Amino acid sequence: MKRKIIGGSAISFLVITLFFVACKKDEKTSSSSTSSTTSTSSSGTSDTSGCSVYSGSSKLVCLANNFLNTLSSTQKSSVELSLTLANAKNWSNLPVSLAPRNGIEFSSLSSTQLAAALAVVDAATGTGYSMEGYQKFMTIRAADDYLGSMQSGYGSGNYFLAFLGTPSTSGKWMLQYGGHHTAVNVMFDAGAVVSLTPLHEGVEPHTGFTINGVTYTNPLTNDVTAMQNLLGSFTSTELSTAKISGTFSDCLMIPGSTTNTMPTVKQGIAYSAMSTTAQAKVWLAILPWINDLDSAQAATIKAVYKSELSGTYVCYASNTSAVAGTATSFLTAATDYVRIDGPSVWIEFCCQNGIVIQNQIHYHTVMRDHSRDYLGL
Amino acid sequence: MNANSLHFSRRTMIRRLILTTIFFAGMFLLPVHIFAHQAPYTAVFLDVTPDRVGAEFQIPLTELEYAYGHHVTQDPATLIQRLGPELRSYMLLHTHAYKDQAFPWKVEITNIHTEQEQQIASGPPFWELRVNVLLIPQRSEDTRQFMLAYDGVVHQVINHVIFVVVRNDWETGRSDSLTSRSDPMTIRIGSDNTVHPLEVNIKRGNLWTGFKNMASLGMEHIRTGTDHLLFLLVLLLPSTLVARSKKWAEYGGIKYSLKRLLKIVTAFTLGHSLTLLLGATGLFVPPSQIIEVLIAVSILVSAIHALTPIFPGKEYYVSGGFGLIHGMAFASVLFNMQLHGEILVLSILAFNIGIELMQLLIIALIVPWLFLLSRSKGYTLIRVSGGILAVFASLAWIVERVSGTPNVMSANLQAVFDKGIWIITGLAVFAIVNFCYYTLRRKWVLT
Repeated sequence: MKRKIIGGSAISFLVITLFFVACKKDEKTSSSSTSSTTSTSSSGTSDTSGCSVYSGSSKLVCLANNFLNTLSSTQKSSVELSLTLANAKNWSNLPVSLAPRNGIEFSSLSSTQLAAALAVVDAATGTGYSMEGYQKFMTIRAADDYLGSMQSGYGSGNYFLAFLGTPSTSGKWMLQYGGHHTAVNVMFDAGAVVSLTPLHEGVEPHTGFTINGVTYTNPLTNDVTAMQNLLGSFTSTELSTAKISGTFSDCLMIPGSTTNTMPTVKQGIAYSAMSTTAQAKVWLAILPWINDLDSAQAATIKAVYKSELSGTYVCYASNTSAVAGTATSFLTAATDYVRIDGPSVWIEFCCQNGIVIQNQIHYHTVMRDHSRDYLGL
Repeated sequence: MNANSLHFSRRTMIRRLILTTIFFAGMFLLPVHIFAHQAPYTAVFLDVTPDRVGAEFQIPLTELEYAYGHHVTQDPATLIQRLGPELRSYMLLHTHAYKDQAFPWKVEITNIHTEQEQQIASGPPFWELRVNVLLIPQRSEDTRQFMLAYDGVVHQVINHVIFVVVRNDWETGRSDSLTSRSDPMTIRIGSDNTVHPLEVNIKRGNLWTGFKNMASLGMEHIRTGTDHLLFLLVLLLPSTLVARSKKWAEYGGIKYSLKRLLKIVTAFTLGHSLTLLLGATGLFVPPSQIIEVLIAVSILVSAIHALTPIFPGKEYYVSGGFGLIHGMAFASVLFNMQLHGEILVLSILAFNIGIELMQLLIIALIVPWLFLLSRSKGYTLIRVSGGILAVFASLAWIVERVSGTPNVMSANLQAVFDKGIWIITGLAVFAIVNFCYYTLRRKWVLT
């Protein structure tokens, strides 16, 4: 009897030890996946794909297929999704643990596969503008590593890439990638970009930062500066016309924005009521978002947005400590908010309280399009 | 049971060791899924009964502060002491319900408190204002279709979103949860930059569907109520054995076992029925944390009893006594549903029937294997390792429930019991293999 009790105890002890060992192992794998980083110093696309003979969306499709060819069939099936409204709407500003994304996670890819995935992003975003496009994406990911160094659940490995529909230069498909503080949804039809929205970008911290020995300038520097310059160009009369009451703790058209509707009634100051100085700043404030896409491919939509400037409005909220004429006094505190709302384009920029770094603000932005979001879905 | 099975050969011992280890280890190496909601949106949970609607508002304080001010995020634990009456007025000002706007429903705040919520996966804990409200029609209107005119926070915070879900619908048993992919109703600013009332429109049901739903809720509660199940199972582990000189000895025979089993289960049922009745009617509602801790203690006590008889022959007193405690936990489910009058009586009856059915089903699934196994000495291994595991599980729960934070072990227990059918299958296979082995062996020895 005694022997059996000892035997039973020994078994239970073994089981419990096994259980804790298993838990420990789990922790290890998750921490190593969050700390995986990728160099952002160059676009890192030495051409082994043979796609460089192409340009524009032909090159993108070539690189997309090249990426697919590096994957196993199981991996492929998680990347190739159908082009449905439900899939297209599944983007988010939240950390991936709160809002699961479509596609394959970067941390699950081998270095060859990851390079092929990043080459797709590179071809879509372009490297034509400093601090925009590919460089911005990689710096936002680095910022997530920076957050990950302070709190678990963040990291450059937690980003996803998916193709909705089959990448081709003849049919309709959508490139969708992102993770925390990035959501890119670009739709192609017959080899041309027909929609570059919804586009969400954000960053915490709101300053530059250093991680893994590399020092980065804040990836949204162009965006915040352009918006500050716009608000700073308004006279106090223009400012009072542009101001809306109410508070923004975040952008309005960010997800759960999958269920929201864009206001059809425009608020704030009309383009036609602005001084020519301010009018010029409106276009300059839209550019940092458009410039996140490869310029040749974004050209058509860019021309549309420019032609629609006369029907565009600007409104802002909070900015209680701002001084008319001083650009840098805008967008400095939580709930400081600005919106550009045109016949097509819709851009919001909002300062939020920090989430990981609680004593400072961080930035959330979103670009939408009144008629091109989820085009035809 | 005779001399030839009194001692194990070394090989048998090792075989058993491996089998039992694989069996129990398998239970723990399973993934966990957690769902919760996070700031910065408001969640509204509706509990719809035929004559009134309960609504629980969960409002993140950071968002409330933007709308209401008064530094509500500072010292949230004492917020209600500081601003209780003012917050009640704020809620009443922003909460309205009606079928016909000319005859608004009565809005009654039944509870207001602050609570700390844990963000999943990452982020610091955050505080919420929790407000329970009753919406009561004043003109014998039904509650299937009505307008909810609530604009708390969103009257000021333009991007704020209020998710509304039907948490309980008595008539149809609809029970929606709020997860990252569920499709809740929303109150938010409209395309005209104003906030509009939400139309809540629920499919009709009737008393019979309501009754059935309460019964299946009772069944579900036992099926997923890991702690209730574990208590019962651990109490049954030694029920087929005879206690002799403060040790569990041999199998007591079918009649002995069945009689003891019946007594234990009946006592448990009587106990929990009594407190379920008291609790669901609101006559006796002890704090849930204490009950949860006591339930874990009940598992610990019965697990120790499975290891070594501490109250032999008195199991039914213990199961009856602990039944009283488990009943209080069952009652909290019903109490939170804002039930009332005849609906409440029907619900208690149906819920209890559901609990009984599920318990009997589980006993029927498990007890035959215990009978089969307890004839052989190998049963000691199952009983002892089961008992020791239950000791650890109950200790993990006690720690979790006293401290209010999950630990590695308690966090994995639910996932383990979700695979209950495999545990039972494993037990059955083990019992049959064991039985065949002994039958064959005895035959072989005799011939």
